[in-house]
Amino acid sequence: MKVDADGFSFNFTDALNAFIFDEKDKSKPTYHGQPMKAVDIVAEFDDAYVFVEMKDFDDPATYDVKDFSTEVELKAKRDGFKWLKNYLKYKYRDSYLFRHAEQKVEKPIHYICLLTFDNALNTAMRKALTKELPVGLASRRWNQEIVKSCQVVNVAKWNENFPKWPVTHTAAAGEA
Amino acid sequence: MLEKIKFERFTAFEKLEIKFSPGVNIFVGENGTGKTHILKAAYSACDIAKSKGGFAEKINNVFYPSGKQIGRLVKRSGASSKGSLEVTRKLEDGKKISLRLSLSNHTTKPEKATVSGSPKAWTENPMEAAYIPVKDMMANAPSFRSLYEEREIHFEEIYVDILRKAFLPLLKGPTDKARKQLLESLQEAMDGKVVAKNEEFFLRSKHGELEFTLLAEGFRKMGLLWILIQNGTLLNGAVLFWDEPETNLNPRLMKTVVGILLELQRLGVQIFLTTHDYVILKEFDLQTKNDDQILFHSLFRPKDTGEIEVSSTEDYLNLSPNAIDDTFGTIVDREIEKSMEGLGN
Repeated sequence: MKVDADGFSFNFTDALNAFIFDEKDKSKPTYHGQPMKAVDIVAEFDDAYVFVEMKDFDDPATYDVKDFSTEVELKAKRDGFKWLKNYLKYKYRDSYLFRHAEQKVEKPIHYICLLTFDNALNTAMRKALTKELPVGLASRRWNQEIVKSCQVVNVAKWNENFPKWPVTHTAAAGEA
Repeated sequence: MLEKIKFERFTAFEKLEIKFSPGVNIFVGENGTGKTHILKAAYSACDIAKSKGGFAEKINNVFYPSGKQIGRLVKRSGASSKGSLEVTRKLEDGKKISLRLSLSNHTTKPEKATVSGSPKAWTENPMEAAYIPVKDMMANAPSFRSLYEEREIHFEEIYVDILRKAFLPLLKGPTDKARKQLLESLQEAMDGKVVAKNEEFFLRSKHGELEFTLLAEGFRKMGLLWILIQNGTLLNGAVLFWDEPETNLNPRLMKTVVGILLELQRLGVQIFLTTHDYVILKEFDLQTKNDDQILFHSLFRPKDTGEIEVSSTEDYLNLSPNAIDDTFGTIVDREIEKSMEGLGN
């Protein structure tokens, strides 16, 4: 099942369904249309759902920490990590709420963020997200997880680990 | 400025050529991919430009093969074989000159090895160079130099060379602004400045003078850098070699160290370093400005040949293979395997 979004092209070969979750086209049955944050793609499998969020850092200069002229500017760009973590976190939570209202949270959900960072930075991002989403039965009062697992990978790692869902990085959305 | 180095059947290398950046050259790779050998070979060539010693002898003293038999530096093979090493530099007038050492595995003494290229022009154009080894020598400075001069002790010459540089007298005249700033940022990180008394180094701070033997090794390294900047070893046109700067250095101090290395590069110092450390790589990636000249060299052994190869890039993200980040990659793999139980695989 092929899905193209934000400059990435996926093929979820074993999915029951896979679609653009934040669909903006009103004519489509998957139209989102609510003032909630939304992950890019939701894919459904026999025993799980997978939420996918992509962020291409080659594209917006905002995150380019190499391109700075003052220490203040550099600091602002480093704050980008914290900003991104919150961005990824709230996107997931709002999407979970939306799916809850759809009554589509009956299977475990895995959240995969596809970023253009190196593995070390992705590992740091995964650690922060795992704690803050939070992953698993985080509270003693919970009987249900809001997310089963969270992964943060680059394109190379995605393809190594998910050979049934090959992805290619096409031109980024909005890129000249 | 060093432009390139070429090895043929020398130590670990079958055939390898590396073009250098005039700025910072960072070597990464797993153990046994020859990172230190590249630094030592290039350093030897730089050192003789000023000391005017023989290239073969310098190489022999720096590599210190068993029994000081220089022929042992030829890459091992069953049959009789020949090896070579060639360093090319660019002079201030733009002219390029080379220094080449050729030897066979039967060459026992340095004087039997052949040095060709432009050895005369090489020494007519001296250059400053310093090599900071992995192991700290500053705390062992007292008497080490005289012991080394008088006795045959089993130490690679880089260890005594760096002490010789550290004991060079101060530069005459006022310290220029750029150098002063570098010294100040080091002083801030070390919380003091370095003084030498009777071949012994001390860190002088507001708490008094602390001998180097009582200092954390990380501070000793920063102290050494402070001395090399202060005594003018690291000026425009100089070359700094630093093997694994991260050793014993608190990751928090990396930011200062990398900042200083980048600033030295901006002042015209060519820098060569090896690292196994993610923080160093990332600090370079983060602190590099547009005009900085950084080249990452990845040394690796492809599975098919097993012989060392190099891949160089200016952009950290394109560094491949990246032995340091690949380690994080295996952690990513194991986390996915553990928590997704084969989904998508």
